[in-house]
Amino acid sequence: MADMLDGFLALSAALTGFTGHRLRGTGQAEAYLATATGIVGEGVMRDLLLAADEARASAGGDAAKHEAELRRLIMSDDRLGPVARNIIRMWYVGSWYQLPKPWREAHGQSPRDHDHVVSPISYTEGLLWPAIGANPAGAKPAGYGMWAMPPRIAPG
Amino acid sequence: MTTSGKDPALTSFEAVAGQEFDVVIVGSGVSGAVIAKQLGARGCRVLVLEAGSGNEITVADYEESVQRFYGSQRKDNNSAYANPRNAPMPRDYETRKLPPGASNTDGYLVQMGPLEIDSTYTRVLGGTTRHWEGKALRMLPDDFRMRSLFGQGRDWPLAYNDLDAHYRAAERELGVAGDVEDQQYGGLDFGPGYVLPMRKMPLSYLDRMIARDLDGMEVTLAGETFPLKVRSTPQARNGVPNPAYDEGRGYKPVGAVSTHQEDKGERCQGNTNCVPICPVQAKYDARRTLYAALETDNVQLLAWTVASRLEVDGATGQVSQLEFKTYDDPDAPGHRVGHVRAKVFVLAANAVENARLMLASDLPGSSNRVGRNLMDHMYLLTWALMPKPAGALRGPICTAGIEDIRTGAYRRHQAAVRYSIHNDGWGWATGSPYSDLEHLVEHENRFGAALRQGLIDRVSRQFLLDCMIEVLPDESNRVSVDPRWVDQMGNPRPVISFGATPYTLETAAFSRRLSRRIFQRLGAEDHTHYDPLAPGYVSHGGEGYVLRGGNHWAGTHIMGTSARDSVVDSTQRSWDHPNLYLAGAGSMASIGTANTTLTLAALCFRTAEAILAGLGTHAPAAATTGARA
Repeated sequence: MADMLDGFLALSAALTGFTGHRLRGTGQAEAYLATATGIVGEGVMRDLLLAADEARASAGGDAAKHEAELRRLIMSDDRLGPVARNIIRMWYVGSWYQLPKPWREAHGQSPRDHDHVVSPISYTEGLLWPAIGANPAGAKPAGYGMWAMPPRIAPG
Repeated sequence: MTTSGKDPALTSFEAVAGQEFDVVIVGSGVSGAVIAKQLGARGCRVLVLEAGSGNEITVADYEESVQRFYGSQRKDNNSAYANPRNAPMPRDYETRKLPPGASNTDGYLVQMGPLEIDSTYTRVLGGTTRHWEGKALRMLPDDFRMRSLFGQGRDWPLAYNDLDAHYRAAERELGVAGDVEDQQYGGLDFGPGYVLPMRKMPLSYLDRMIARDLDGMEVTLAGETFPLKVRSTPQARNGVPNPAYDEGRGYKPVGAVSTHQEDKGERCQGNTNCVPICPVQAKYDARRTLYAALETDNVQLLAWTVASRLEVDGATGQVSQLEFKTYDDPDAPGHRVGHVRAKVFVLAANAVENARLMLASDLPGSSNRVGRNLMDHMYLLTWALMPKPAGALRGPICTAGIEDIRTGAYRRHQAAVRYSIHNDGWGWATGSPYSDLEHLVEHENRFGAALRQGLIDRVSRQFLLDCMIEVLPDESNRVSVDPRWVDQMGNPRPVISFGATPYTLETAAFSRRLSRRIFQRLGAEDHTHYDPLAPGYVSHGGEGYVLRGGNHWAGTHIMGTSARDSVVDSTQRSWDHPNLYLAGAGSMASIGTANTTLTLAALCFRTAEAILAGLGTHAPAAATTGARA
């Protein structure tokens, strides 16, 4: 699965709006790839990453085209879309959510496919909070009194 | 406790069963801990029983709770704590909308309705102060005279001024941060020159954004006009010590509870997680007081032990002994039954559990008031989006509120209310920010940069205003027991019957109207809505509202002037059983618009004096344990 990590990070960057470096910095890429692959199977994951490669290649560096291609090839695909949305959820809040019923019926059940926090650290590495200049509740505090200042919402 | 080791003060079933102590206290929460510390310091031999785990006194134990919270998918207000089958606790998600006449027996609490109440408590060392938020407001002088002033509810058998010295003692013990100059309203009087131990928590960016546009807005209620002002909220959270405290002696914040030196918890870092657990222990929890009690070497702690029955001498009314059940495995069936004797017994297990134990012991009181007059604050939540990013999800959960309407002549007709500005967004009302992420990803089909911008627009601008509404004592609101419903150990589970009266609902309706005006004044986008299928949904005057519980259970062993219509006297001593005290919010005759913890802690300082006097031990004057700057 190691060969899939770069592709997974590239896809994750496109899905989350955070750079690959920022995502790598959370230390969670391997865990999320393993969690998703363990539940949806290697076949689905490989197809997802291939679709992501194709979207990137056909966009040729055009951001708007890249987004449109991701919608066409992945987000609107019955098989790949729900998995992509779950990858976003993992990066943002550290949790895997059970796949929709139609997906499970069409593409297979997994005993691990239930709502769960990937690990205690995955929660504290959630990107939702830094996206709005805040900290995950209960972790990574910014220090006494910083809440009196305007939020620092930075790209990254 | 001064020796090294993991839990040196924990005693065992074998060491306790059949023994006699000066005082046995049921419950290690703030009530029990305050009384244990005061008595232990005076040389009384005290045993504290705790239903939950005793492995909670080291920093490593605490870290386990933090990790449990991180790893919990449902981050409810008890999610940081183990929930043993042998001493279960209520969880808010067990609350369900009840069809008329139906009951809900799914959780630990049996809910009979008609109003479903999602309040909980925590059965763990330190009790519900482990998950409390830490707001430490005093009650107002008027709150103690509800019947005399407003013809509603009940008067207390003591006045605000009688409790002033004990409030000071409680503010010291809990370590309250706040500025007295922000608390000048509604007749609140702290005495000349008094300051709180620590300066106020800095107001949040959101608080100040709101204050800028809201301060000076006038509200008229029952012919009286109240100018509104955003004021800092006193809270038991470590901040900057006030050098003027204690006549210039200052105050040293108490940090993390630990059996060895630990440099942690001396100041709030803004984790925005006061409930259910402050990861750095900047928030007060009762383990601090309990630890100090254990350090007197006169106090012992028996954990994993549920008090199951008080036995009373029929001739004298005295409690002769207490039956208890100690378990080894938190979840597997099996326990040992023991008995312990004492000169004085104190029930300090919270308003629900105290009543449950009394009723399980067939002791409804000569007034038949045990378990009755159950109170809790009813919270109406209102929420909106500020015109621009306001920095939601940062800082302590609340740093400011609107207090000016906490009392007035209107209380003849409708309940008192105060308002808190939430720094933690809409989470309480909507499950935000998870629900927002879900909405953006699943319904708005956003990803990448558009998703990030969506979160900024939808989460950082969130403003939730909670409306904390008074509930009067009402004998039909009650805790009872029923042999049909017992827990794994065979102890009766609490059965809750609760309804909201028009007195409370009128203020819910008023508060919704006021919140609309506030949002209009701020240019905020009102997103408030109430789901008819949600627990706590009620109709009043043609409009629907959802009322949420405040976890401020009170009134079940109500205080009064005689055995005819109350359970305890002004020292929390049982009228019927001269060597029994029922301590905590269960004794309160009204709850006003203050979170109950500071007041019940103050009452427990008063109770400790009474117990010491009764035992013939000289009581320290409360004025010396409080402070005047």
